[in-house]
Amino acid sequence: MMKPVIKGNSISIPSDQEYLSDVDVFIEGILRGFGADESAVADIAISVSELVNNAILHGNKSASDKAVAVTISKSNGCVEISVTDQGAGFDPCDIENPIDDANLMKEVGRGIFIVRSLMDQVEIEASDRGTTVIVTKCI
Amino acid sequence: MKLTDREQDGVVVLEPKGKIMGGPDATLLHDKLYEFIQQGRTKVVIDLSRIEWMNSTGLGILIQGYTTLRNSDGQLKLAKVTDKIQSLLTITKLVSVFDAYDTVEDAIASFN
Repeated sequence: MMKPVIKGNSISIPSDQEYLSDVDVFIEGILRGFGADESAVADIAISVSELVNNAILHGNKSASDKAVAVTISKSNGCVEISVTDQGAGFDPCDIENPIDDANLMKEVGRGIFIVRSLMDQVEIEASDRGTTVIVTKCI
Repeated sequence: MKLTDREQDGVVVLEPKGKIMGGPDATLLHDKLYEFIQQGRTKVVIDLSRIEWMNSTGLGILIQGYTTLRNSDGQLKLAKVTDKIQSLLTITKLVSVFDAYDTVEDAIASFN
């Protein structure tokens, strides 16, 4: 059975939401080491939790033999985080707008919208071998 | 997330603590609300002052609770919403859905 693996500024977890808190502890610890204030730590932690949830549930479809990799770095005062799954990829254009009246009361579908609101830059690279989302926030 | 509850003036007050990020958090709050409904306790206030942050899963739980209680002729109200959660409610337009109060007492009084 796979377990979380930490190597430097990267963590890899099995496709199970049980490990969300491992990623959070890892990311928040590094962010505080980078000198990020608590508001920025929360914004980035929320965004990473959204991306890892998506990678587990929608990317890897909770497959026990697939992992989610998270890498964090800092350059020129900005934090960059990548989240990679091993799923079949997706088209970002397929995501509905969660603030449309028709979608407002839906219980799901706000993750990427929130990430785009909290982070300065969001790039999605999807292929049939997996999806990598790279987010950046200057702190 | 940890969850405690108490009753004041016929209103259930839920006091979650920590972060709401997904997984077991979702079922914990949902199961608690369902338990209250089964008991006929459908006036509920969630005190959010001890939530560090929540993501879209947390917002989904609030919507689910709001809808479930409303369908049972009850109501869900929020109290002591932190700046970080208020910001999320605003950008997702859910601020227009939930009744939110500065204090738990104000939220309880609003049921009368």
